[in-house]
Amino acid sequence: MTAARIVMVATIAAVLALGSVWQPFDPEAIDIAAALAPPGAEHWLGTDHLGRDILSRILVGGWRTLTVLAAVAAISFALGAMIGTSAALVGGGVAELLMRLAEFLAIMPSLVVALVITAIIGFTPATAGLALAIGHAGPFALMAYGLARRTVTEPYVEAARRLHIGRPRLVLRHILPNCWPTLAAYVAADLGRNVVGYAALAFLGLGGAISAPDWGSMLYEYRSHLFDSPGLMFWPGAAIAVTATVLNLALDPTVADTDDPV
Amino acid sequence: MAIGSSRLIAAAATMGRRLVILAAASLVAFAVLHAMPGDPVETALLGWGLPRTEEAIAFLRREWGLDRSWVAQYGLWLERLVSGDWGRSIRTGRPLLDEFGDALPISLVMGCGGLVIGLVMALPLGFFAARHPGGVIDQVTRSLSVISQSVPLFCMALGAIWLFAAELRLIRPFTEPPFERLLLPTLLIALYTVPRFSRVYRRELLLATTSLYCKFALAKGLSPRAMLWRHAHPVASAAMLAAVVSECGWVIGGTATAEVVFSLPGISLFVVQSVGVRDYFVLQFYVVIMAAWMLAIGQAADAARAWLDPRTDSGTGP
Repeated sequence: MTAARIVMVATIAAVLALGSVWQPFDPEAIDIAAALAPPGAEHWLGTDHLGRDILSRILVGGWRTLTVLAAVAAISFALGAMIGTSAALVGGGVAELLMRLAEFLAIMPSLVVALVITAIIGFTPATAGLALAIGHAGPFALMAYGLARRTVTEPYVEAARRLHIGRPRLVLRHILPNCWPTLAAYVAADLGRNVVGYAALAFLGLGGAISAPDWGSMLYEYRSHLFDSPGLMFWPGAAIAVTATVLNLALDPTVADTDDPV
Repeated sequence: MAIGSSRLIAAAATMGRRLVILAAASLVAFAVLHAMPGDPVETALLGWGLPRTEEAIAFLRREWGLDRSWVAQYGLWLERLVSGDWGRSIRTGRPLLDEFGDALPISLVMGCGGLVIGLVMALPLGFFAARHPGGVIDQVTRSLSVISQSVPLFCMALGAIWLFAAELRLIRPFTEPPFERLLLPTLLIALYTVPRFSRVYRRELLLATTSLYCKFALAKGLSPRAMLWRHAHPVASAAMLAAVVSECGWVIGGTATAEVVFSLPGISLFVVQSVGVRDYFVLQFYVVIMAAWMLAIGQAADAARAWLDPRTDSGTGP
């Protein structure tokens, strides 16, 4: 990772985290008298149709998005590492079953999988993170399995096995150290798409998410003002697009595919 | 062209694997209902506005076979799946088979239409991007690729409605007859598939030019353009099938947000609304439909790949 990429990710993370410590107004405070105020000295980005401060809502939405990203990254990594390495170690019918399950999950639209999960367990940033991680788990588990399988056949793993090293230690000390950089790169590359996925989940808003200050649910709410005050949709839309673009460009080399095969 | 028996066996194994996945899908779909919190009978009575009498509950439990063992229930469910007796929607009260029958064509027209338009546009774009790396077309498709992966479909859809309906007043997205209502979402899906296809195609073309047979074609005096078209294109288009297959799932199942924005009653919108009222019967059939669709696409792609590029072994897709 080059310095420029690190700066990009750190900057976007800092901006998203800002919402947890500072908001100029209460993002939920309704003030009908000040509804649809243009950007000004008091409300920097103006107010929405209920008089809520848009900047505060965008900032809180950013913090919620960051929470989701952290949850998705941690859960995907743990899930992938666990399923991949255990399937590779145990092998046989169990691995076969797990991988067929992963293939099944891979062909289901991840948005619908995530949607069903949030509809069941409720909609918070943490549950949405879990839902998105499971929605994307199929291809990830397949990749982790392939990676772990290659490592399992290495001579040093074979040597460790012959020394009767227990399975937990074998996984933690001998297999994972060789897998986790690739797994982590894969998880990181997916972060930009998870910003988009979380926005879509919040937009569809099952499980009681509609009035929460999420970028996606803001767009759902503001879209009924498409014809009278379309400007409302600009800030949440721009927030999603900018965050996802920065993360995609910084973390996913395939998005801009600059490395030519020739 | 003779087909080796080993290849036939591999193709049969792939098909067997697909059938196993389909069986697993039906099992998962069946298990989903039982893993859900909340009793389907209670949900249905609430949804249909019927009184919660002992009689009604007992009747529905027997009607849906919920009083039997799991194995018997799975058998019963498979029987209903095959015979087309899918029950009624809790939300609308209409037979599910009719609901899916109405919703599926809308999603298919929108998704496959977008896919085909995307593919038709992507081939020339990818070709000229590969012909002139770093040129205008290369830069444009690269930027489109970044945008399509960073701006959600529903943001773009809202922007398009604002531009074409509110500002330019060219269309009325919610009142037109079905064909015109489908036009904008179909074009939007095409906009999202164009960069993916054109970038994959370009990459595969460039990859093919590093091969010996392409260098040989140049050495014998073919122009770079003819070499690309005659020798790199068949291989690149075979490799592109994988991208088409992965997009096929998205265009049918991943367009729920577009269906919401354009209020098009497609399959994704139907499933979202059904999940919202906890109608998990719908989910069961949706899972099987999606699995069958994706596996059929995978099977078709294998056949197409073997035809386009005889070197490839069958059975690499999902």
